[in-house]
Amino acid sequence: MPPEIPTLPQLSILALAVVALGIGIVLSVFRSRGNEKLRVPMKMLYYWGLSLAIVVVFWHTVRRGHWTPLESNFDTLVSLGVILGVFVMYLQKRRPVAGLDWFVMPMVMMLLLLGGVFGRTKLHAYLPTAWSVLHLVGVFGGAVAFALAGATGAMYLLSNQRLRNKTALPGSKFASLERLEHVTYLSVTLGFGLLTLGALMGFLWLLRDETKVLPPGKIILTGVIWVIYAIILHTPINPSFRGRKTAMLSIAGFILMIATVVAVQFVPSGK
Amino acid sequence: MQRLLLLGLNHTTAPLDVREKLAFDASSQKHALESMRGQFPQCEFVILSTCNRVEFYAAREVHGSPRTDELLNAVALLQDVPAEVVKPHLYEKTDREAVTHLFHVASSLDSMVLGETQILGQVRDAYDAAAALGSTGVMLNPLFQRAIAVGKQVLRDTALGEGRLSIASVAVDYVRQIFDHFKDKTVLSVGAGEMAQLVLQHFAELKPGRLLVANRTKSRAEALAQQFGGAAVDFHSLADHVAAADIVITSTGASEPIITRSLMETALKARRFKPIVMLDIALPRDVEALVSEFQAVYLYNIDDLQKVVQQTQTQRKSAIDAATCIVLEHVDDFVASLRARELGPAIERLYAHHHHLAQEELHRTLNKLGHLKEDEKAHVEELARRIINKILHDPIKTLRAADSTHGLSAQYLHALEKLFKLDDRNINHEARKDE
Repeated sequence: MPPEIPTLPQLSILALAVVALGIGIVLSVFRSRGNEKLRVPMKMLYYWGLSLAIVVVFWHTVRRGHWTPLESNFDTLVSLGVILGVFVMYLQKRRPVAGLDWFVMPMVMMLLLLGGVFGRTKLHAYLPTAWSVLHLVGVFGGAVAFALAGATGAMYLLSNQRLRNKTALPGSKFASLERLEHVTYLSVTLGFGLLTLGALMGFLWLLRDETKVLPPGKIILTGVIWVIYAIILHTPINPSFRGRKTAMLSIAGFILMIATVVAVQFVPSGK
Repeated sequence: MQRLLLLGLNHTTAPLDVREKLAFDASSQKHALESMRGQFPQCEFVILSTCNRVEFYAAREVHGSPRTDELLNAVALLQDVPAEVVKPHLYEKTDREAVTHLFHVASSLDSMVLGETQILGQVRDAYDAAAALGSTGVMLNPLFQRAIAVGKQVLRDTALGEGRLSIASVAVDYVRQIFDHFKDKTVLSVGAGEMAQLVLQHFAELKPGRLLVANRTKSRAEALAQQFGGAAVDFHSLADHVAAADIVITSTGASEPIITRSLMETALKARRFKPIVMLDIALPRDVEALVSEFQAVYLYNIDDLQKVVQQTQTQRKSAIDAATCIVLEHVDDFVASLRARELGPAIERLYAHHHHLAQEELHRTLNKLGHLKEDEKAHVEELARRIINKILHDPIKTLRAADSTHGLSAQYLHALEKLFKLDDRNINHEARKDE
């Protein structure tokens, strides 16, 4: 079995990580109903789940024999999940956005599960170059930021709807709309920069590697995502796009991005 | 052996004018505690005086002073009010009932507004003031410390303290769900009446960047604005001020809406569609209902806010049972600990005293029975020990099982101490004379 393919023990630990995160989300929901005693167990489960995922990434890397990141589906998706999870835990420690973990941790779980599922599929073979590494870091780093923007966008929509329908009792467990909009905008800004860098590097990689043929679908999807986030970034110029529309666009962009990442797994990229 | 006494009146037993006569401020409370300690030096006192109740907690010896009338007279004298005026409104509780009452008070179960959190701080302040004067001791220290802990637990573990019960605080909560920070926000009050003042009081605590007041009568606008460090603005330029404001509170007495859909549309364009919260607490409404169609406008009228208040009241009422359970658990535990604290040493002294008597008689008898072997002496000693234990078994069992709700435990213990002379000064085995 090639070392890039995850072993059964690694997948088992990954499954444990997913379970820990899932239970942590459940405790977080119960905690939001006033049971503060669940705060510590909830945090421990999140940290434990992420720690297990980090252990798996580390083990996988050691087994592969070299430290170049993002070389396989498994380490890419699991690393993305870990980065997203750790970033959110850091954000919640520094300046919490109430309810953010309910939206982001399921994404982290999904990434870990996808890593387990797609980790055993045949890899796309390519020679890693500076362009490819920068491309992957930019694209996947942008994906993490867009995932956060998608989460806060969804929270904004939900909270906004309840406030307008007046079904939300004061003292909601979500952060304020202003804070959610701010985090969405920051995440989109960061993600847009990384995506632009990643797309440019991918283009340069394409020019340098004559054996590589990029499927048109991937180019189009990437272009659409780029345009969506460019629109979001320009909401200060076009203020009628702020608030709910920005949130909807950030969710749409995130869904498209996920579709692109998944589609890439099944679309050949060589002659 | 101590007894706990509570004497007090509250909003359900006394009208405001009677409560006012008996109420204490910080300095009169200090003076009262010092005076009562001077009059009854062996006792502990705490005075709890709030706008809705005045209560005196005292711990004294069983059959000691002050009794209820003595306490009432002392207080009436201090407050210069005839005792007959307050007496009909007073309630008196002792021991377990007093403990239960205090725990209910600290948990806001006895408050005019169920679940209000202010009372816990007031109980703490009353205890701190008394403790600082050395007016508390072995009874009132653990009692009030436990009461404060019970209050905290009830508010933490039940829904009793959740939600808001005033329209103004509900409005602030809604605004906090929309805006994250307020230093860069402008609050505009259209109207300068009593409701506006009440709501602005809450919003001023958010420390907004600007606070504006618009009213048809400029002088009233200026007076209200000055109260909160804001500025009065021209009522006739309302459209401009609404465009500049992030939070608009309307409470005029206008018969027609003063903020229409078209005014709002213009204001939103000028604001570049930044969100705006409109709190329309007027009746008839000051803001046209169609204004809520704008995505950037969050409009709440008096009904919306009142609905939340009613939901909170219902929620709190449903939490009463859970809160009462917590209180009663703590009452049982506290009373049991008090009993153990008093019974334990008394029972030990009883056993020690009687075994000492048995030893004295045993020693005298064994001297006369000098021919006894060691094992025979051991049997005789064992006999004496078993006789004492059997004699004391039933009284001790009854004492432990006494129903403390009716204070029988305290009475039995007091009788035991008197009948068997268990006061410490009487336990002097070296000086005991043969009867």
